[in-house]
Amino acid sequence: MSELADVPWNLILPLLVLQFILMIVALIDVIRNKRTNGPYIMWIFIITFGSLIGSIIYFVFGRKND
Amino acid sequence: MTGFMTLLQKEWKEQTRNFKVLWIPLVFIILGILEPVSNYYLPEIMKSVGNMPEGAEFLWPEFTGEEIFMSLLGQYQFIGILVIVLAFMGSISGERKTGTATLLYVRPISYRAYFLSKWIVLNGIVLASVWLGFLAAWYYISILFNSVNALEVFGFIATYSLWIMFVVTAVLAFSASFSTGIAATLSLLLTIGFQIVDSLIGEYWTISPWKLPFYATSVFNGNNDAAGLWWSVCITFIAVLVSIFAGVNMSKRNAAKTTV
Repeated sequence: MSELADVPWNLILPLLVLQFILMIVALIDVIRNKRTNGPYIMWIFIITFGSLIGSIIYFVFGRKND
Repeated sequence: MTGFMTLLQKEWKEQTRNFKVLWIPLVFIILGILEPVSNYYLPEIMKSVGNMPEGAEFLWPEFTGEEIFMSLLGQYQFIGILVIVLAFMGSISGERKTGTATLLYVRPISYRAYFLSKWIVLNGIVLASVWLGFLAAWYYISILFNSVNALEVFGFIATYSLWIMFVVTAVLAFSASFSTGIAATLSLLLTIGFQIVDSLIGEYWTISPWKLPFYATSVFNGNNDAAGLWWSVCITFIAVLVSIFAGVNMSKRNAAKTTV
């Protein structure tokens, strides 16, 4: 547990929060309109496990706007 | 300028609906925080995951805050520009393809207002993102490294902003002229491809828009080539104006290609 305490949380936390916001927004968007390029279940996996890159890829290629 | 304010509102609403107003700033801010933090903890990261042999001593270079700004600029020059191009490659050609443009073009709008409303909103989003990213980086750099002179940072950001404006205008003009795929290819060629050309054989000239990021970093180095900088700024301004003019004309000419 001492290793966890050594992590400089006050520096890392804003980063994690921002990534989390990005992920949540992407997930809400997928679940709400479900019109994606390819199956939307796949996009949920990409967003959840791809962290920053996953969310970017979803917003660039996954969204179908019409 | 028929209905310019309406078009501006329409554009803003569209960019909020597709979340670009949210995710583009977030990406730039995350990159801006990641760069100082990862550079600061690089020795420890390498120690735990780098598979270094036992007892190996490695002297890590001592970075200054200015150098972190430069390496962040390198990140923005590739990932940032990639994000800008991919996010906005379809902003006019996509409207033609999906048929949104039909709803617009049947109305008596002026194409100047149409193009400029897009130009203003897109530049607003992208420039705000870049500024927020650099400000976040500045804050982290002042904690982890040394505090960088505010005047230098503002000079750096201002010079770089002009380059970003050039990129956005070029993407928009290409999007007005061609289909989305061609627009993306040409934009990437113009921004990232020409960067490589400029870095390979760029020492033979001092004036070009692609030199602007270099001049931005030279604010920190102090080796100011003032004439080269100001000529590049002038040339870039002219290039932006020409691209706007071309974009307005091409969006008018391509109006017939709209899917009905």
